[in-house]
Amino acid sequence: MARQRRSTPQRRLPWGSIAKHGILISTCGVILFPLAWVLLLSVKSLPDAYTNRIWPHHFDFGSYHRALTAIDTLPQNFENSIVVTVATMVITTTIAVLAGYALVHLPTPGKRLILGIFVASLFVPSRVTGLISIWEIQDRLGLINNTWGLILPYQTLALAVSVFIMRGVFETIPKELPESARVDGASSFMILLVRNGVIVVVITNFIAAWGEWLLANTLTNDQEKRTLTVVLASANAGFGQWLWPTMAAMYVIAILPGLLAFAFAQRWYLRGLQEGALKG
Amino acid sequence: MWRTTTRAARTWPYLLPALFFFVGWQLWPIVRALWISFTSFSFLLDDSPESAKFIWFQNYVDAVKDPLVRSGLWHAAVFTAIFLPGMIFLPMVMAVLVDRVHNKKAAGVYRLILLIPAMMPGPLGIGPINYMLVNVFHLYDVTNQPTWLGATNLTFLSLALMEWWWGLGFHTMFYLAGLSTIPKELYESARVDGASEWRIFWNITFARLRPILLVLVVLRFGTAFALIDEYILTGGFDRSRPTYTWTVYMWDTAFQLGDQNRGYAATIGWIGTIGMLGVVLWLFYVFRNKD
Repeated sequence: MARQRRSTPQRRLPWGSIAKHGILISTCGVILFPLAWVLLLSVKSLPDAYTNRIWPHHFDFGSYHRALTAIDTLPQNFENSIVVTVATMVITTTIAVLAGYALVHLPTPGKRLILGIFVASLFVPSRVTGLISIWEIQDRLGLINNTWGLILPYQTLALAVSVFIMRGVFETIPKELPESARVDGASSFMILLVRNGVIVVVITNFIAAWGEWLLANTLTNDQEKRTLTVVLASANAGFGQWLWPTMAAMYVIAILPGLLAFAFAQRWYLRGLQEGALKG
Repeated sequence: MWRTTTRAARTWPYLLPALFFFVGWQLWPIVRALWISFTSFSFLLDDSPESAKFIWFQNYVDAVKDPLVRSGLWHAAVFTAIFLPGMIFLPMVMAVLVDRVHNKKAAGVYRLILLIPAMMPGPLGIGPINYMLVNVFHLYDVTNQPTWLGATNLTFLSLALMEWWWGLGFHTMFYLAGLSTIPKELYESARVDGASEWRIFWNITFARLRPILLVLVVLRFGTAFALIDEYILTGGFDRSRPTYTWTVYMWDTAFQLGDQNRGYAATIGWIGTIGMLGVVLWLFYVFRNKD
């Protein structure tokens, strides 16, 4: 009798659960489908690319070679992107960690005002409206058409968000901890505690700098000075002369660094997001 | 006095680097643009904004009468209206579902997959979405592919689809962070009281997510209304296309058209900014805590 009563609810099909996982799995499918399609397209031979077969008849990796040789500045553009992105990641993350620490654990005058201005700046399209003056500043500094010069305006791409995130992360650390850490000289211990938050900031800045188009397109003119995103996006948008597989190969080349970084850091990234990066 | 000075001396080295870049390349440029908008500064005619004539509100008077400014603002608003609901509510649905997955491993995998698009450079998505719509779904044929995305009314929907795909996972994470703060006992006691699932969602989940909803609405409204990269890349500077919004018009005026009238361009930028700030304040008013 007792056993029967327990088994009754189990025998009913868990429709709610099936629907839940069904929706989630199909959404994941929608997310992954374009990526898989582009990836497969990049290794298709030309006849395969223009038929509707998903799986290629035979694999042809020649598109990657064509993509890299079709635009002769591409290796230089790739290097430019790496230089600018790495510099942005390192500098912005460092200053955001310092500022976040000061805003929580140091007696900063005007704490609320500073934080308020940072947050308010998120609601203003400063990158667009300030573009004319950013151009003027860069011009005065002699940095128009200079790849390294991009690093300066790039600091602000995700600076406000980064400071906000780091502040949220430092808030989760008890106030007494920095005091005792200072006594012991164990500042590296602090970094360990905020590690996941730092990963979130690093990735946020990576995405912002690697995919930035407007500033790079406005502040540089020569193709060999430009970043990968600018050159590829222009090629992508006016791609009349491009063959589909070549275009797909270029796209894979451009997104690969991001995916690799994410695959490498995803565990800390997810933890960082949950830990308070998003709660602030 | 001495104490506060030493304290400040200890603090400022931490804050100054952030403030230096923030003020130098974010705050100062928009203030400077406001000043330029009151001048007749044309890049090819004047050496600097200082040597140009200060004309008070003349640019603003001209801009309000300019049909391109009006249509530019209107088109940006249309795109925002198409884009915003999907970008706010799809992730909310996803977050509520992921939050109810009890298997930790499965929930982690869902999060990861949803987040993958966020790791990619946004402007590069145009190529693949072009490809999908032309070759996979056959909405357009090969002969008109380079221009179709900028030229038709479906442009905005295509761009919105791309942005939804891109932002779904990231925004889901925001909601999940909010959901994790809701104590599970609230749901249980509501169920014991015999509340329907819909009422539970509306009165507990949705009510608790409201602050996050507000932040996301405001932030995404900002990105959508001030979008420029994707418009230039898809529509170029073709005035007959819906992608010629106020942001594109501003860029065109400042860096390409005629004498590069940057005073007028700054005015267009500031009119868009003022419009946005107005809507943001209105949103804060609508979402204000009514309790």
